[in-house]
Amino acid sequence: MGVRKKEPGRITRYLRRPEVEKVLQSIANVLKYAFFAFFMFLMYLPIIVIAIQSFNESTGLIYQFTGFTFDHWKNVLTFNLDSSLMKAISTTLLVALLATGISTVLGTIIAIGIHSLPQKKRQGMVFLNQVPILNADIITGISLMFVFKIVAEVIPGVFGIPSLLIAHVFFCIPYVVLSVLPKLAELDDNLYDAALDLYCKPAVGITKVIIPAIMPGILTGMLIAFTMSIDDFLISFFNAGQVNNLSIYIYGGYNRRLAPEVYAYNTILSTVIIVALIAMYVSSSLKKRKNLKREPRHA
Amino acid sequence: MNIKKLGKLALPYLVWMLVLVGIPLLMIFILSFMNTDGVSFAGATWTTAAWEKMFTLADTTNLQILGYTFLTAFVATVICFLIGYPMAYIVARSPFSNKFVILILTIIPMWSNSLLRNVALKNILSESNILDSLLSRIGLSFSIVFANQDQATFISIVIGLVLTFLPFMILPIYTVIEKIDESLLEASMDLGANRVRTFAKVTFPLSMKGVTTGIIMVFLPCFSGFAIQKLLSSGTVYVLGSLIEVNYIHDINFVSMLSIVILVLIFGSMMIVNKVDKEGATLV
Repeated sequence: MGVRKKEPGRITRYLRRPEVEKVLQSIANVLKYAFFAFFMFLMYLPIIVIAIQSFNESTGLIYQFTGFTFDHWKNVLTFNLDSSLMKAISTTLLVALLATGISTVLGTIIAIGIHSLPQKKRQGMVFLNQVPILNADIITGISLMFVFKIVAEVIPGVFGIPSLLIAHVFFCIPYVVLSVLPKLAELDDNLYDAALDLYCKPAVGITKVIIPAIMPGILTGMLIAFTMSIDDFLISFFNAGQVNNLSIYIYGGYNRRLAPEVYAYNTILSTVIIVALIAMYVSSSLKKRKNLKREPRHA
Repeated sequence: MNIKKLGKLALPYLVWMLVLVGIPLLMIFILSFMNTDGVSFAGATWTTAAWEKMFTLADTTNLQILGYTFLTAFVATVICFLIGYPMAYIVARSPFSNKFVILILTIIPMWSNSLLRNVALKNILSESNILDSLLSRIGLSFSIVFANQDQATFISIVIGLVLTFLPFMILPIYTVIEKIDESLLEASMDLGANRVRTFAKVTFPLSMKGVTTGIIMVFLPCFSGFAIQKLLSSGTVYVLGSLIEVNYIHDINFVSMLSIVILVLIFGSMMIVNKVDKEGATLV
């Protein structure tokens, strides 16, 4: 019995023939990539619709495509927007740029600090750093609102751009720290020692030795911080006071029609980011190729 | 080691975190057991009124909202896992030399405003939608018909949550699968395990770290958010977050209590993440 059990059945034997296996393998491959492509397509479908809407002439119904127009794009590019949308967009960009800048600088300094702690303390700080990331946005939003409400008793003008900016810096720093820490771990600590032995001041040692070495991590952190900041809704919602950012503006439109320019703005912004990324990627891979070509000559 | 002296740079961060995380958490806890006017403690009394508002059998409205919130978040997370794991696996194991490009493709949607994407999704899921309007010009039609309004709302919300948070499932899982040493898989195959068995006994257990992070990163925002739900249901559905949204100006105590419900979940997930991923390697 045992011997017969091990002998594969007729179907299995057929399936195991090399030429059949090859066909099955390619069918599996096709299915695999079809699965991937289908869900990628679903993820892109809303963005495609946003792009379509940015060219939609219809001013009344958003569910009808009445004709093609460049007007919305023109309006965005010439800053000819209705005032509430204009304010929302400028607030979003202002806060995102400032928060990205501030949190990148602070996050890098903090990451260097955390890296230099003894192991036990470091793990504690890394855990603490994860709190805002793992914490639900709504809790972060409410927590900060409580703090700002107390601060508002002393400084009445805190709700608005100041509170929004501090809130964004707060939730951006942990992402910068998390992207910089692995790069610091790769860094040879002796390099910094060598710099100090050669009479570098600590500040110079950091800016001339450590920072250049961890630059890729800093850039990643910066990119994540910017991405998080321009898209944030929940934390901003509780801490913006009377100010609107773009997400709050769009949220307000859950039962009314949004100005069509918002679609054009969104399409333009994501196109710019994508083009910038492609440019960065191409230039870095070109550099790599150049270095590869040079290396043999040095060797 | 001179670099050890730089540890003091982290000290202000500790203070900053205590002020912006520690104090508010303490306040949330205390305020949930009080009856205050905003955040001022003047004339406040201890009471469990906020808790009774939620956990009472006399009026189960709020409990039903909690149940609905859990159900939508749970279903969305399960679907995200069932779609996200294979996608991450396919990218990580693809023969393409340039996985970076495919990875960027999964992140690009995140640079469109997530709420606007859901506004667009609502358009797509409406009976007369912009795609139908376009396709009708070439004689085609596209429309999703639901059996009834409740079903339409539930399915729309789940689709919205899945499409918004899918990248948060794919990325951490991709990160861990990518790092798995290929020689382990070869060893498993050499020892006679077939592909399915190798996956079940080697790849999947080794990717658990990413799976845990992914599940938490998807479930928490699905459970605590309210904007996507409101946009896709045109404001007809209430979730836990909506209760916070409605009450955050007038009833701080109730909001604090609701926050604790969410915090319990978060605390649990932090414990899990801290156990499986000490250095937070899968979070970015």
